[in-house]
Amino acid sequence: MDDADYARAKRRRARNLKLWLAFLLAPPAAILIVFVFLPMASAVLYSLYEWDGLVRKEFIGLENFADILLNPNKNTLLFNAFWNNVKVFFSLMIVQNGIALVLALLLARNPRGYRFYQVVFFVPVILSTVIIGFQWKMFLNPVFGLVNKALHYVGLSDWALPWLGLPETALPSMLLVNSWHWFGFPTLVFLAAIHRIPKDFIEAARLDGASEWRIAREIIWPLMAPAVTIIVVLTFIGSFNWFEIPYIMNGLEGSPQGSTDMLGLLFYRTAFGSVSAGGSDFGSGSALAVLMFIFIFVFSIIATKYLTSREVEMS
Amino acid sequence: MANIKLRGVNKQFGDVKVIKDVSLTVEDNEFVVFVGPSGCGKSTLLRLIAGLEELTTGEIHIDNARIDHLAPAARGLAMVFQSYALYPHFTVGQNMGYALRVAKESKASIEKKVRAAAEILQLTDYLDRKPKALSGGQRQRVAIGRAIVRNPKVFLFDEPLSNLDAKLRVAMRIELTKLHRTLNATMIYVTHDQIEAMTMADKIVVLRDGVVEQIGAPLDLYNAPNNRFVAGFIGSPAMNFFAGQVAAFSEGSVEVELADGANITFPCQGSGLLVGDPVEFGVRPEHFSIGQGVDGTLNGDVYAVERLGGETYLYLTSGSQKEIVVHVSGDHQVAVGDRVEIGFSISQSHLFGPDGQSVSARNG
Repeated sequence: MDDADYARAKRRRARNLKLWLAFLLAPPAAILIVFVFLPMASAVLYSLYEWDGLVRKEFIGLENFADILLNPNKNTLLFNAFWNNVKVFFSLMIVQNGIALVLALLLARNPRGYRFYQVVFFVPVILSTVIIGFQWKMFLNPVFGLVNKALHYVGLSDWALPWLGLPETALPSMLLVNSWHWFGFPTLVFLAAIHRIPKDFIEAARLDGASEWRIAREIIWPLMAPAVTIIVVLTFIGSFNWFEIPYIMNGLEGSPQGSTDMLGLLFYRTAFGSVSAGGSDFGSGSALAVLMFIFIFVFSIIATKYLTSREVEMS
Repeated sequence: MANIKLRGVNKQFGDVKVIKDVSLTVEDNEFVVFVGPSGCGKSTLLRLIAGLEELTTGEIHIDNARIDHLAPAARGLAMVFQSYALYPHFTVGQNMGYALRVAKESKASIEKKVRAAAEILQLTDYLDRKPKALSGGQRQRVAIGRAIVRNPKVFLFDEPLSNLDAKLRVAMRIELTKLHRTLNATMIYVTHDQIEAMTMADKIVVLRDGVVEQIGAPLDLYNAPNNRFVAGFIGSPAMNFFAGQVAAFSEGSVEVELADGANITFPCQGSGLLVGDPVEFGVRPEHFSIGQGVDGTLNGDVYAVERLGGETYLYLTSGSQKEIVVHVSGDHQVAVGDRVEIGFSISQSHLFGPDGQSVSARNG
C-alpha cells in the first residue's frame, strides 16, 4: 500500500464514521425538533400575539407577559400558584425524597426480603397517576372514604376531616398521595448510588470508629451526590409542572380557596378557559408557559451546575 | 503492641465453609504473612480478625482478651485495604485524621499526629491534596498513614501492593519492612504473592481451601515444606515434581523408582510407606546443577530458554516428564534443542507420600 492508498483508506474510514454517526443521530434529532423545539418556538411566537379564542390576531410584543405579571387580577393568581409550587417542591424534597433516602439506606444493608421490598416500593411508580388520583380521592372522601373510616375504627374520630375540602389539609393530602406514588423511584436511584460506593469506604469508616449515622452523613451522602443531583433536578421539574394529581383530586380551579392551585392548572385555565377564568386566552396562556419554561430551565441549569460541582470521582 | 491468638476459627457463608478450624498465634511485634492462592480464605481470615466478618465458631484474642464479639473499631486494629479505601471527598490530611476526628480528639492533637505520620511517610507536602491527585504509591502511603495515626495494637494489610506496578511494589515492600522496624508493630499481611511473603515475613501462614497448611519462618517453609502444596507454592519458579513409586526399603532409607526408570535412594525413618506406594520426588529449579549430580542425574531436552540477564531458566522435557525447570547462571551457554544432564543432591530434594505429606518431615 503506497502513501496515496493509505491516505484514501484513512479518508474513507473517517467518512464512514461520520455517516454512521449521522445515521444514529438523525432520528432523535428529528424527533426533538418536531416534538420539542418547534412547539417551544410556537409557544414563544403565540405569546407575542393577541388571540380571540383559538384565532390568532395582531402582534402585541410583550403585552401578554406584562399583563400576567403586572395586572393585579392576574398576578395574584400567578404568585399564589407559584408559591404553591414552591411548597410542593420543598415538601416533596423532604417527605418523598427523605423517605426514599431512609429506605435506600435500609435496603443497602441487604435486609431479609430485600428483593420483595424493592418490588413493593416500586409498584406505585408503575401505576397510572390517573388511577392513583381517583383511588386516593375516594380514600379521602369525608363520608365513605377509607381514611376517615379507619380513623373512626381506631377511635380517632376527632381526627377525621374532609381532607380535600379544607385549605389547610388539601395540599398536604395531595403531597402525601404524590409521595406515595413516586417514592419508589428516588429509592431505587439512591439505592443504585449507594451500591456504587465501594464497600471498602464503608468498612474503612467502620474501622475508623464512625457510627452508622456518621457513615451515612459523612461518607455515603457526599459520595451519592450524582444521584442527589438527578433527584433534586427531577423533583424540581416535576414540582413546577405538577398537574395530574391536583387536577384529578380537586379539579381545575385549585380549590379550596386556591390552596391547591398550581402553575400548570393556571396555565390550563388561562389558555383553554374554565368556569372561573372564562373563555380561553391563548396568548396569556402561552406567555405563562414561556415564563414557566424559562424559570424551570434556568433554575435547573443553576441547580445542576451547583450540585455537579459537589460531586467527587470515586477513585 | 500486641499478640493475637486464633482458636478453632471457622467461617461459613451459607453452606460453604471458607475457614476451617484455624488456630494460630501472632506474637508481639511479629510480621506475619497469610499467603495462599486466590480463594484460599486468607482475606476472609484477616476480615474476621478485623471484625468486618462475623465468626461462625471459634475465638479471637488480643493480649489474652477475647475480642471477637467487639465492633471493628473497638478492637484496636487498623487495616490497609487493597483498594486503599481513601475517602475521595476528603484531603489526605482529613483521610489520615478521620478516625481521630471520630474519636473527638482536639484539632491540635489531630494535626500533630497527622503531621508526625506524614513525616514518617514523606507525605507532608500532600496533606491538602485530594486522593485523586496522588500517584498509586502515594495513595498507598496515605492508607498506611491513616493506620499509623490511630496507633493501633495491630496493623492489618489486605494485599496492599497488588495495585502497584512491579517497580513500585519492590520499593513499597522495602518501605513496609522498614516501617515495621520503625513502629515496632504487630502486623498481619495478606498476599497471594509468595515473593512478598518470603521477603517481608517473620512468619508465614500458608493457607489452602480455608485450612492452614503450614506455619513457619520463610526459610523453614522453603527448606522443609510439610507437604507437596507448600513445596509447590513457596519458591519461584515452583519446585519440579517427579512421579515415582516405592521400590524397596533398606536400613534408614527408601528406594524410589521414578517413572522414567531412574532409581533414587532417599533417607528416611518410619515413613509409613509401603512398597508400590505412589510418591513424588521434588527438586527446586535452583537445586539442579548442570552435569553429573552428587546423588543422581537426569537427562532432558531443552525446549525453551529464558534469559533474565543475571540468571537463566531452562525448560526441559525428559521422557514422560513434560516440564523440568532448571535455574542456571546468566552466562550459561545452552541452546534450544540441546540435550543436557542435570544433577541433584538428596540433601536438597524432597519426597512426598501418597497423601502429599513430606516424607522428610516425618523423619525423626
